[in-house]
Amino acid sequence: MTRIGIIGAGFMGTTHAAAWAGTGASVAAVIAGPDTPAADLAERYGAAAHDDLDTFLASVDVVDVCAPTDLHERFVLAAAAAGKAVVCEKPLARTSQQGERMLAACRANGVPLLVAQVVRFFPEYVAAREAVLTGAVGIPAVVRLTRATFQPRKAADNWFVDHARSGGLVFDLMIHDIDYARWIAGDVATVFARSVQGSRTEAPSDHALAILRHRDGAITHLEASWAQRPPTFRTAGEIAGDAGVVSWSSDESEPVRVDLEQPTDAAGEIPRVASTLAEDPYTTQIRHFLRVLRGEEAPIVTGEDGLAAVRIAEAVATSIRTGRVVEVSGAEGTDDVGTDREVTR
Amino acid sequence: MRVGLSGIAHVHADAYVGNLGAGGATIVGVTDHDEARGRRFASDHGLSWFASREALLAAGTDGVVVCSETARHLEDVSAAADAGVAVLCEKPLATREEDAAAIVARCDAAGVGLMTAFPMRYSPPMRQVARRVHAGDLGEVWAAQGTNQGELPMRHRAWFVDPAESGGGALMDHVVHVADVLRWYLRRDPLEVYAATNRILHRDLVAVETGALVMLTYADGTFASIDASWSKPDVYPTWGGLTLELVGERGVIAVDAFRQHLVLHGGPDGPLGWPSWGSDANQGMIDDFLAMLREGTAPAVTGHDGLAATRVALAAQRSAATGAPEPLVAP
Repeated sequence: MTRIGIIGAGFMGTTHAAAWAGTGASVAAVIAGPDTPAADLAERYGAAAHDDLDTFLASVDVVDVCAPTDLHERFVLAAAAAGKAVVCEKPLARTSQQGERMLAACRANGVPLLVAQVVRFFPEYVAAREAVLTGAVGIPAVVRLTRATFQPRKAADNWFVDHARSGGLVFDLMIHDIDYARWIAGDVATVFARSVQGSRTEAPSDHALAILRHRDGAITHLEASWAQRPPTFRTAGEIAGDAGVVSWSSDESEPVRVDLEQPTDAAGEIPRVASTLAEDPYTTQIRHFLRVLRGEEAPIVTGEDGLAAVRIAEAVATSIRTGRVVEVSGAEGTDDVGTDREVTR
Repeated sequence: MRVGLSGIAHVHADAYVGNLGAGGATIVGVTDHDEARGRRFASDHGLSWFASREALLAAGTDGVVVCSETARHLEDVSAAADAGVAVLCEKPLATREEDAAAIVARCDAAGVGLMTAFPMRYSPPMRQVARRVHAGDLGEVWAAQGTNQGELPMRHRAWFVDPAESGGGALMDHVVHVADVLRWYLRRDPLEVYAATNRILHRDLVAVETGALVMLTYADGTFASIDASWSKPDVYPTWGGLTLELVGERGVIAVDAFRQHLVLHGGPDGPLGWPSWGSDANQGMIDDFLAMLREGTAPAVTGHDGLAATRVALAAQRSAATGAPEPLVAP
């Protein structure tokens, strides 16, 4: 049985632990920072709670990094040096330089690096991509992706809203649709973006729009928002291609309507898409990772994909800061997406 | 009131005939540079045909609705201004900034009323949002994302995709409506326009851009995007649509101007239809035009609004050509 070690016992560590447990893998060890102690999560799965990284690493086969974004590099490098397979929560890293070092370390140590860009496992996003690949949509021309929710809130150590740690709205939320846009329409040449906090530092929550120009000619409009009220978490997309247009929206596809005197499920601290599916997409993702680690499947999302998304997010952040059109660096050489494009045509 | 149709190239000319009648106007008749087309239109609607715009303007005409190709608006409006006849001019006002400015200047100098055909100013959903924004429900507006996507308009009128007549492609056709709504809501014009365009959709049929994404930036850092793409397929249940979502100090307001429709499965028009039950914004616009003719009231949308929106569309074209954001300096 594959022994999984989880780093971070917050929202995502908890989500991933439940997903691993659901696949039959063994959640063997948990290590976490002071704000989210490892003991509770470890106890739930009969895992060992660690406070020493080396003994933690020695006790597992796979390391799942669910720590705050700015700590990803440190833990991925340690896991790679210990020869452990790595799963890393999105965004891969806070900077592309960190991401490059992470990819290099995993390559040098011969360990797989899987990036949890979970939107690639949400069925409506998978189905929309299928509509592109099968020719129903044809060549993507104009893509629109929306992800609108409230700002993550936590009493202590809200690293999500600490720009230096999380990268803020662009790195934490828009990154999902950045990766998906690239999965659909290929590498990105330039970005132009604006954000509310980019022009009004006093604004209490951020809201960003970005226009991407893809190398193959498509253009994408991205909306990422922390400016909504709880419990709103609205996701929507539209891909207009030369054969057809496919669109989807969480507003239009919630199968259950609840209007109760006493609501029992108030919005949590961290926005989360409501899932009314046989299998939670986080579990679908983890199940896929497990098959990849067992050599049964090719990865749907690679370290290179994770790094490419970080590079685009950096360009978006630079455009917001400078007000200029920004070229995306290092977008050459990600030929896995090119392969998909050949199928598309 | 006696109203004539000066040009019938625009797809809305048919609807305006009904709107004018419903508004109590007498339709003097119709003229067009394409005599065969004009005569056919006159005959289809039981209207009088005039061989020249001068003849139409001299027939006791109080106002004209200019529905000629965009590049011909200046000639039609100038003739009306010279004759002292008020004008409702189709959008965009012109294909060039100097022409749009001349249209406004000629009417101002002649003291004749000039409206631009921006029916969204009369759409009850859009008006409700205007009231809320102006009442301060949203507080300061910080960001907006709008769409005005449509089908390829050459399905209706071929000249829409001929830059010599229309001034361009999707940008010229579709930026102005949302740009005008933003001018109305925000009561100011952007200082910078960025646009990214492509020609993947319908690339074998047209030489102009069909995909178009635009970002406007205002002096205080407020920004607004516009999707002006001709990205609705021919089989879409309607011609397209217009939406706008505003993010401000106190939350979010979103509007879909054409949301009020039935969903019809089956019938003579295909497997899926969206018969509208919303109020006809064109009727509100024509009624406002007739009120201006009758009572001299100030219309809700003017030629100056048309000029401002045209300047935004033209700046978007320049930005799409250079790839860089284009400054928009107040004239």
